[in-house]
Amino acid sequence: MTSGRLANLLPPIAFGLAVLAVWEAGVRLLHVPAIILPPPSAIAMRLAASVPTLAADFNQTIRGVLAGYAIGSLAGFVIAVLIDRSQFLQRGLMPIGNLVSALPIVGIAPIMVMWFGFDWQSKAAVVVVMTFFPMLVNAVAGLSSAGAMERDLMKTYGADYWQTLLALRLPVAMPFIFNALKINTTLAMIGAIVAEFFGTPIVGMGFRISTEVGRLQIDMVWATIVVAAITGSLFYALVAGVERRVTFWHPSYRAKEA
Amino acid sequence: MKKSLFVFAGLAAILAAGAAHAADKVTLQLKWVADAQFAGYYVAKDKGFYKDENLDVTIKPGGPDIAPEQVLVGGGADVVVDWMPAALAAREKGAEMVNIAQPFKRSGLELTCRADTGIKTPQDLKGHTLGVWFAGNEYPFLNWMAKLGFKTDGSPGGVKVIKQNFNVDPLIQKQADCISTMTYNEYWQVIDAGYKPSQLVVFNYTDEGVSTLEDGLYVMQDKLKDPAFVDKMARFVRASMKGWDYARAHPAEAVKIVLDNDSTGAQTEHHQTQMMAEINKLTAGSDGRLDLAAYQQTVKELLSSGGSDPVISKEPVGAYTTVVTDKAFGKK
Repeated sequence: MTSGRLANLLPPIAFGLAVLAVWEAGVRLLHVPAIILPPPSAIAMRLAASVPTLAADFNQTIRGVLAGYAIGSLAGFVIAVLIDRSQFLQRGLMPIGNLVSALPIVGIAPIMVMWFGFDWQSKAAVVVVMTFFPMLVNAVAGLSSAGAMERDLMKTYGADYWQTLLALRLPVAMPFIFNALKINTTLAMIGAIVAEFFGTPIVGMGFRISTEVGRLQIDMVWATIVVAAITGSLFYALVAGVERRVTFWHPSYRAKEA
Repeated sequence: MKKSLFVFAGLAAILAAGAAHAADKVTLQLKWVADAQFAGYYVAKDKGFYKDENLDVTIKPGGPDIAPEQVLVGGGADVVVDWMPAALAAREKGAEMVNIAQPFKRSGLELTCRADTGIKTPQDLKGHTLGVWFAGNEYPFLNWMAKLGFKTDGSPGGVKVIKQNFNVDPLIQKQADCISTMTYNEYWQVIDAGYKPSQLVVFNYTDEGVSTLEDGLYVMQDKLKDPAFVDKMARFVRASMKGWDYARAHPAEAVKIVLDNDSTGAQTEHHQTQMMAEINKLTAGSDGRLDLAAYQQTVKELLSSGGSDPVISKEPVGAYTTVVTDKAFGKK
């Protein structure tokens, strides 16, 4: 199994290294100015030299990301359960959820800054707005995905609504819920970083990107992008790992074992 | 065959003659949106001063987070309006931009505080929350704080800094005790928001002795090797300064010209009239030539800003040139 795993990792690693090599060679051979596109070596050096700054930025942004992610996903889930109980609420809340998800971040971010201040709370608020609807839609779809036969079985056991929910409908909804959780990791990162463009104390990944662009320190911009990319990937991988544990029974996992 | 050759030759001759009379194209990138801060250029365009110098000028307005240095280096403009600290910092990073003219003699940067915060002198700023623009506008502030001995990273005994957007909300919403304003723009936005001058405490960077040169014209160094380009820029500077002179003599007409050129429709006559009056104070007395004493003062300010992140770390070499203004106005 380990050799199979390794064989799976080799192509992406090789491809990534090839891209970096072409980038480095291209920038040097074509004498591209560093303020347009720095070579990967310069970015790596800048990253190594700026660890305290980048760590402080990460610290600031991640608070907004995690708080917003948790609140937004939880709110979406709770509303989905409420909707499940009441058709009236479904017809009322779904279109509103749809509207809220369509609001552009660049519009709501300044408003959130005005309401919640310059610190991470306003970024969390933006992330809540962005992550609410995906979770709502997926949880509603998941809760209605239990088969009719299984629901009838629960009825024959005399299970009430809550017992059916906990024993049957929630587990069956898990693939959908984790789908939303994975989408929300990306949205949370984007939301927090972009919201930081619109007002922040002078620390944070979004702040770093926007000010270093203004100072023409593009290698620092790329270093921040690398940190954001690694954070986002690790976050996604974490959620995917939990998903694997919780929904081990799902057919999509079986195929890989063969 | 001979007939088509004649037609072809005739066409070529007409085209060549046409090209000889075609005006030289110039693209100017402004530092901010189309408003009275750049009235001189819009006046020069609309009153035909550029046309008289055989120039066809395209004026590109700037905006939030548009760094003129990037546009210049990226080839998006022949000449840009920029502040000297940002230009010198960019030059040190390898963007070889050179100051060719300095229409703004005075600085309009100030820090406006609410009087109810109890701040009366710069020393009182300690421990307060201050709003600062970034995107190249933070250098004079960082310089001043270094002089006052206040750290800006939020450590105790220093000041707390927030990245202010290009509006005055942090002051009005009481999220900051002081914000950065220009004498000609944001200060009036605060007044228009209902504050009386008696409710505000204003620190003018010039009065504090930490002002740096603001709106100047910059081009890429390698382009100055071409004498035709130098000649083109000389004509451009001459016509632009004529525009500034006109704006000082006829401010109401200049405001109308600026409003006509504002494609966003966001500017109001009331605001632009105030702005024009203040801008005219900043350009008064400037003939376009860079005052070398003022340049040295700005460089000294930036070199002494010290700290872990100095604006510039060494004396700039070749950051300005007089060849353009010498050609435009004759050697001083």
